[in-house]
Parts: sequence; structure tokens; C-alpha cells
Amino acid sequence: MTTYLSLMLLIPLFGGVLNALVGRNLPRRLAESLACAAVWGSFVCAVLAALAYHGPEKVVVAQWFQAFDLALPLSLYLDPLSLSLCLMICFVCGLIHLYSVFYMAAEADYARFFALLNLFVFAMLSLVLAENLVLLYLGWEGVGFCSYLLIGFWYTEKENADAGRKAFITTRIGDTALMVALAWLFQLFGTLSITQLNGMGFLLPAGIVTALGLLMLAGAIGKSAQLPLMVWLPDAMAGPTPVSAMIHAATMVTAGVYLLARMYPLIGSSTVTTSAIAIVGGLTAFYGASCALAQRDLKRVLAFSTISQIGYMMLGVGAGAITAATFHLLVHAFFKALLFLGAGCVITAMHHEQDIFRMGGLRRTLPITFWCFLAGAACLAGLPLTGGFFSKDSILTALWMKGTALTQALYFLGLLTALITAFYSFRMVYLVFFGSNAHQQGHHEQSDVLPMELVLIPLALLGLFGGVLDLPGYLGGGFLGSFLGPLSGAHPVEASHTEELALQGVAATLALAGVFAAHVRYGGAARDNRLQESLLKPAPLVAFLLNGWYFDALYRALLIRPYQALSRVLWQQVDEGVINGGIDRLADGVGSTGSWLGRWTTGQVAVYLLSFAAGGALLLGYLAWRSL
Amino acid sequence: MNPDFPILTLLLFLPLVGGLSVALLWRNPATARFFALLVGLAELALGAWLGSSAPAAGPTGYFLYQDLPWIERFGIRYTLGMDGISLVLVLLTAFITVIAMLLFWQEVKERVALYFALLLATETGILGVFLSLDLFLFYLFWEAMLIPMFFLIGIWGNGRKLYSAVKFFLYTFIGSLLMLVAIIVLYLMHGAQTGSYSFALAELVHTQVPYTTGLWLFAAFLLALGVKFPLVPLHGWLPDAYCDSPSAGTVVLAGILAKTAAYALIRFAYPLLPEAAHAFTPVIYVCAVIGIVYGAWVAFAQTDMKRLVAYSSVSHMGFIALGIAAWSPVALSGAVLQMVNHGITTGALFVMVGMLAERTEDRESLHYGGLWGKVPVLAFFFLFFNMASAGLPGLNNFVGEFLVLVGTFRVAPGAALGAFLGIVLTLVYTVRLVQDILFGTPSQPVSLSDLSLRESATLASLAVIGVYLGVHPAPVLDLIKVPIALLTKA
Repeated sequence: MTTYLSLMLLIPLFGGVLNALVGRNLPRRLAESLACAAVWGSFVCAVLAALAYHGPEKVVVAQWFQAFDLALPLSLYLDPLSLSLCLMICFVCGLIHLYSVFYMAAEADYARFFALLNLFVFAMLSLVLAENLVLLYLGWEGVGFCSYLLIGFWYTEKENADAGRKAFITTRIGDTALMVALAWLFQLFGTLSITQLNGMGFLLPAGIVTALGLLMLAGAIGKSAQLPLMVWLPDAMAGPTPVSAMIHAATMVTAGVYLLARMYPLIGSSTVTTSAIAIVGGLTAFYGASCALAQRDLKRVLAFSTISQIGYMMLGVGAGAITAATFHLLVHAFFKALLFLGAGCVITAMHHEQDIFRMGGLRRTLPITFWCFLAGAACLAGLPLTGGFFSKDSILTALWMKGTALTQALYFLGLLTALITAFYSFRMVYLVFFGSNAHQQGHHEQSDVLPMELVLIPLALLGLFGGVLDLPGYLGGGFLGSFLGPLSGAHPVEASHTEELALQGVAATLALAGVFAAHVRYGGAARDNRLQESLLKPAPLVAFLLNGWYFDALYRALLIRPYQALSRVLWQQVDEGVINGGIDRLADGVGSTGSWLGRWTTGQVAVYLLSFAAGGALLLGYLAWRSL
Repeated sequence: MNPDFPILTLLLFLPLVGGLSVALLWRNPATARFFALLVGLAELALGAWLGSSAPAAGPTGYFLYQDLPWIERFGIRYTLGMDGISLVLVLLTAFITVIAMLLFWQEVKERVALYFALLLATETGILGVFLSLDLFLFYLFWEAMLIPMFFLIGIWGNGRKLYSAVKFFLYTFIGSLLMLVAIIVLYLMHGAQTGSYSFALAELVHTQVPYTTGLWLFAAFLLALGVKFPLVPLHGWLPDAYCDSPSAGTVVLAGILAKTAAYALIRFAYPLLPEAAHAFTPVIYVCAVIGIVYGAWVAFAQTDMKRLVAYSSVSHMGFIALGIAAWSPVALSGAVLQMVNHGITTGALFVMVGMLAERTEDRESLHYGGLWGKVPVLAFFFLFFNMASAGLPGLNNFVGEFLVLVGTFRVAPGAALGAFLGIVLTLVYTVRLVQDILFGTPSQPVSLSDLSLRESATLASLAVIGVYLGVHPAPVLDLIKVPIALLTKA
């Protein structure tokens, strides 16, 4: 097992480092094959580990560092949670690597791209497999670093570089909270082993558990792009589309959810923390969906939908339904990667046009993409019997069954969000694939897109049928539930079959209603009216949603501008003015000292030596005199 | 090895003697350069050999020791000792000196022999501080290392070089005089109490110091060491001195000279005056945290690359001060480790900035841009060392910062919380610098050449050490473990 787990990490690390160091000098095919082989090699290791899996297992690979009682082993932990995530990560990332070979075919700097993709997989896997919180932190920062460089991959454009920088800094605000939690945990327990910490939560007073939980939540908010640190994710779409699929949909953003699920046995006993998680999740789900309603850029629609869907996962964690949250995490990874990769096909075929109001008719020119994208949209909308339906519904069910006023209020918010989600999903489908291709006349290079489209198919199947991972009780119960169940530390109230059916009926009705509304507004002849409207200046509410509730502007005014201005004040007024100027004035001010200093500074360096020697001599003389 | 062989003396004076010989080669700059490099390499080899073959440390933690009477009349002895902390810093010193020589091989065109001779003389001065166990001897080296540094800035510097050199000299010299007074007072008190007048550290630690006197004495130490450290607000000399110094001088200043103050604090000030040090701890905490935040914040406003790195150095040194103030085994280990890491990382950043300035004679970061595509090797290293400086896990700085923060949080959560802020602020100015230099397109075309083989190889050696200390810092942590356990009585 040690071998499988170590290799799972080392292969992509090796691939990434190799491509980073010598990739530029390798033939293109070799560099690409190396990167793909590395990830699929990891996948093989993950499968082997799954086959050899007998129960939760902790392996110590090596010692990282030790100073007195602070010992940090490089230890890994394989349990159902980390195993299922590893399989998903390797599989989805493997497909995205293959897709990238075609998507980035014209890119000259392929070595840098694939090196970073591989390093990203390494970082994400070490985050998931870590048994030690510091190793988790290594992966946590590692994904941040890779995404920084991948978002800004086309670095010559200032906007791209800015977006990468924004993502790195914003997420690091959360990371710092996590780091504080680490330092505190070490102070309390003298260990940072996740399995040990999870067993020791009961030793702590409730207030401290709450504070620790909130710090971890702050960490998760940064990485998982939740309110109020979600501003980086929409901009992160500046990166190449495979990057968006891999980092900003399927894997990196789920790290926060994973952290909270992983540490749930420790932090879950605080109702304040779980309520906070649920509230953040619920509000973010609504926020993301509302913003997605108004976006015109295809990738930004998907970005806001990611924010919203991660919000659902947080809701699940907050409700104590770790299994449901994990279930949604996995299914979402499939269908969101699918949607992004589908969007990549669309964007390639449209010659890098991303405005959905300038697209149309693609269902005829890109049939494979259309059907796959439709499957993804159906999952996102939560249409009955798709994977997205079951996973989202299991979260909502858990919320309802928890039965407190808060969770039931959040349940209704979740339902409202589901309605909006169905609406914007099909708004996207209608605008992109239906109607006529009014703005782009038949230059679609289908042959270029075809190999990329093939990658969509397995993802579409997984998204559609992902529900079988964890079917509801009346359909015979789920594999995932029994697999993850005993380890999550949470015991959500089980719904009876009738309740479950009733709740799912409500959810299904709303999803269908959302699709119907989208059809009425964007289908058929109505579509042309919307295109006409899109040329006008957006209404205030639309502009508000389009700009993500103006959070960016708010932060610019409240944080960024003052920080920049104060940095200049500190430098020019305080440092140059008070500290430096004070000394200079002091030197000048003391009567003749000024001119004396001036004479000194004329470069008579011998004077210095002389005065130094004289000083030394005086000193020695004094010492001699004293001791006589 | 013959136990009576004065190996520490050889280690200490090899650079100085070598430097004098280099100065004699003033007619032939090329030879002088090579000879200086040879001396530097010999010193590094000697240090490495000592490190690998040193006998086991005794109960005092010192595995090499040399003690001779010198000026017996005043109880001044020539006492040198090397424990794990000294060894680590000696290696750093020898390494950074070689790096500085190699990377700025051609930087100086005039009076080449003298320049290299002074670099080597500085090395001896710094080594003396790390090896002396007699306070008089220590003070001698402490002042002595200023002189060659002063000339390096004053003669080969740029900008307002004389202003900066004098400022550097006066700041540190005035501070040092106070420390000298404190040393002498301690010496006299100890003599009066025991009847034996001695400057030996091992003797002076037993001095009974009245509480208030102790406070004054510690304040004098803190002022002297705080200037060189530098602790905010005593850093006024630093941006000018770092900026106007020749590149090799900046690397030596930031990479190793700054560590002498941290070392002296650990080796002398704390053990000599433990009670006063305890009383002053809040002051150091405040200075450290303000330094971390303030340095990072001011660094953000800089567009002169060298000045930016100078302020970032102030910020990073704050972490070291924090770890020392906490004085717990974990935090102190982090502080010592961070001294090495800071030497490597900030040293490397000054190297890179110096290289860019050497190529274009322009230090304004906004004039650059898009270097990633133009000079990929240089860009790779630039990004690498910036990320190390920002504390990316897996690279060296992370381990040191982590130990400092976790160790400090245990004893002083409030101070540590302030320092956590530094993690974010460091990243803010780092990515701004990276973006200015590497990304975007330049506001005006910059033409420069990528790294030569000599430069790549030297930077690669720094990078390899950076990764090694990030992934496997155990060798350093093991070396410093015994001395730190003794110091903190853990």
C-alpha cells in the first residue's frame, strides 16, 4: 500500500519537475505523453490501491522535519473519503490532460503548461492523502501556486496575470486562517496528525472547538470560493479552458469542502460552526446562481455555477451530511469538467468567442458537444434521474430532515437556488446551441474539435449515471453511503421512503419548472427577442448580477486602494520622513555637526580609519587605566 | 586530526590572509580574482570538512574549542568555539561569500584586487563574530567587519554611495559603542564580584546583575544588535546601504552580515542577561511584528527592485526576531533555521536583482516586463526564489517560518497572530514584483541576455539548497538541537 500511495504522488511530481526543467528541449509529443502518462500512472496506482484496500490505513513514508516535540512525518491516510477522491481526481485530471493535448495544440509553451498541470495533480493528491495537516497545507498551497501560474498562463495580457495574482492572494487570506488553526491545534495537542486530532475533539471546551472550526471554515471559504472570498473564481476563467475545468471546477475548489469533511469529527460537534458552514454554503449557493443568471461569457456562467454548486456541498457539510456532500462533490466534478470541456469545444469552434449572445445553432455543427453539454446541463439543473439530481437532492433531504428552523430555512433557499440553477443552465443551452448561427458563419473546424469531443463522452456518462453511486433508500440504497458512512463521524437523520419520495418530487418539479421557464424565455422565437435586448444597456438589476453584486468594486474601494495608498504613506511619510529624515535632521541639527558630517562625507576615508583606531586606542587606554 | 591543531584559527583567518595576498596581486586583476575565488572555495571546503568530520559535541555543545591567553592583564583571552549554531552559520558565510564572488565576477572593473581582498576580510570579520567566545574578541570582530564593508560601499557603490556608507557606519558604530559600554560594565561587575577579571562568556554568564542595571545593559545590547538586525525602527540605514552597495556587497550584507546580530542576541545577550531579556520580550515582540507587517507593507510601495527586496528583508528578519523573543525550543530552532534560509533566499533575490541591474543598468521594476518569454532560465530562477521568499511549502523558508510561528503561538499567541498577517502581505508584494518583471509586456523594450552557464550553475546550487532545506531540513535541525536545548534549558 505504501508503494501505491507513494507512487501515486511521486509519478506526477516527477513528470511535472521533468517537464519544468527540460520539457522545452523535449519533442512536443514526448512532453505531452510524459504528462499524460504521469497522471494515468497515478490513476493506475489509485486503482491498485482501491483493489488492495481493506480498511482505513495510515502509512508513514518519511520524516519531513522535527524540532524537539514538533515532529512532522510525511504520512498518508487512505480511507473511503480519500480513496474515492483520489480515484476521481486521477480520472478526471487524466481526461483533462488528454483533452489539453488537443486544446493546446497551437501553444508554443507546452512544457510549462504540462509541467504545471502535473504539479497540480501532485499537490491535489497530497492534499487529499495527507494524514498530517502540514502536508495537507503543502498540497493546499501547492494547488494555489499552480493555479496562480495557470490562470496567468497567457501572461503577456495584463488581465490574465492580474487574475492569477488575485486568485493567489485571495485564497492565501483563507490559507492564513488555516495556518492559525494549525498553530493552535499544535499548541493544544502537540500533534498535527489528522487521525489523532479527530479523536481528541471531546477533550476541548466547546468555545475552542467553535473557534477552530471557524478558522478552518475561513480557510475553506478562500479555497472553495465561498462568500466573501469568492471574487477570485470568476476572474480565474482567464486561464486556458482545460485549466478552468480541472482547477476551478473539478478539483481545487473542492479542497475546502474536503477539509471540512475531513476534520468534521473534530469541528462538527460545535453547532455554531456547523450553522456557520451551512449559512455560508446556502448564501453562496444563492449568490452564485443569481450571478450566473446574468452572465454573458460562457465560462463565467460556469464559474458562478461552480461557486453555487460548492455552496451546496458546504450546505451538506453544515447539515452533517458528509456522505451527501462527498456524493455531490464527486458527481459535480464529472459534470462540471464536462461542461467546461464542452465549453472549450464551443470556444474553439467559435474562434475564441465566449459571449453566449453571439453564439447559436451549434447543435447542428457540433452534435457530440451538444449532446454531452446537454447531459452536463441536465445534471447541473438537477433534472430527475441524472447524477446531479440525486446528489443535490440528498443534500436537500439531509437539510430538511435535520429539522431545525435554520436548516429548514436553508432548505427553502436551496430549493429556490435549484429553480434558478435549472433556469440559467438551460438559458445557456438555448443561447449557445439553438437558433441560427447568426454571428458566426460556418467556419467551424469540426475536425479539430472531434478528438476533444471524444473526451466528453465518458464524463457525460459518469455525470448522467453517477447517481448509482448513492441511490436513495427506496431504490435500494447507495454504495457510497455504506462505504463512507461509518467514517464520517456524522449521523444525519434518515428519511423514510415516503418522505424521500416527497422531497424528491418537489425538487424534480422545481427543476422542470426552471427548464420550462428557460424554454419560454430563451427557446424558439423568444430567443431572437433576447438577442435584440442584449444589445441594449443592461438594466440596473442585470448589471448588479453581471458584476457579481459589485463585490469587486467594494473590495477595491475598501481594501485594495487604502492598502496601496497607505503603503505609499508609510514609505514616503513614515520611513523617508520620520525615520530617515529624523536621523538626517538629527545629524544636521546638532550645531556644527552638520558641516562636520559634511566634511566627513567628502570621501576622506583615511579619516574614518584614523578615528576608528583612535577610538579603539582610547578604549583600551581606559580599560588599562581602570584595571590598574 | 591532531586535537591540538588550531583548526578554528585556520578557519577564521584563512580568508583574511588570503585576502591580503589577493591585495598584493593588484597589478593583475584577473589573477587576483581567481586567487580570491580559490581562497573562498578553500574556506568553504574547510568548513564543509569540519562539518562532516567534527567530533561529537561535548556536554557544552561545542565540538571544537580553542582557548589561549591573550592580554592576560585584562583577562582577555583568545577563545574560539564552534557548536552547531556556529557551524551552520559558518557554512552559510563561506557559501554566500563564494556565491557573491562568482556571480558578480565582472561587476567591479576598478581596483579589483582590493575589492576582493575586502570581501574576504569581511568574511573573516563575520566568522570571528560566529566563533568568538570571549566578549572582547567578539567586539573586536564585530567592529572589524564594519570597516571593509564600509569601504566596499563607499568605493564601489553607486548612487549616493558615500552618504549611505557613512550612514551605515555611524548607525552601527554608535549602537556598538553602547554595547561596548555594557560589556565593560559586565566585565567590571563580574570582576568585582569574583575577583577574577575576565571577558570569557562562560565566566560572565555567572555575573549577578541587579535587575535595573540588567535592564540598562540589555537595552544597550538590544540597541546595538537591533540596528544591525535591523529591528524596526532602527532600520533607517538599511535601504540606502543595501541599495547603494555593489551587488556582491548587498548579498553579503543581507545574506550574512544581518545574521551576526541575531546570532549575538542568541549567543551573548540572552544568556548574559536572562532576566532582563525576559523583561524586554514584549518590546522585541512588538518590534518584530511591526517589522514583519511594516516591512512588507512598505516593500509593496517600492518600484526600485533592490529597495523592494531590502524592505522585504526587514520583514523577513522580523520572523527571526519573533522566534528569538519566544525563546522556546521550537521557535528558536525556527529562528536559527530561518537565519540560514533568509541567507539563501534573500541572498539569491539580491543576486537576481543585481544581475538584472548589471545587464540593463536599470532597477526600476516598471521598466521591465514579459521576461518570462525572453529569458526563460533567469525567469525560472526569479520565480523560484520569490516563491521561496513567500514561504511556499516544500521550499526552505516555509519550514523556518512554520517553526517560528507554531513555536511562538505556544507562548505568545497574540504576537504570533500579528505575524500571521505577514504571510499574506509577503505574498502581496512578491507577486507584484514577479508580475512587474516576468509578466505583461515591457513599457519600453528591454534587451538582455539570459544566464550564462556560470550564473545558472551558481543559482542552481542555491536553488538545490533551497529545495533540500525545504524537503529535508533535518541535518540543520539536528546540528542546532543540542545548543538550543542548552540555551533554552529544554
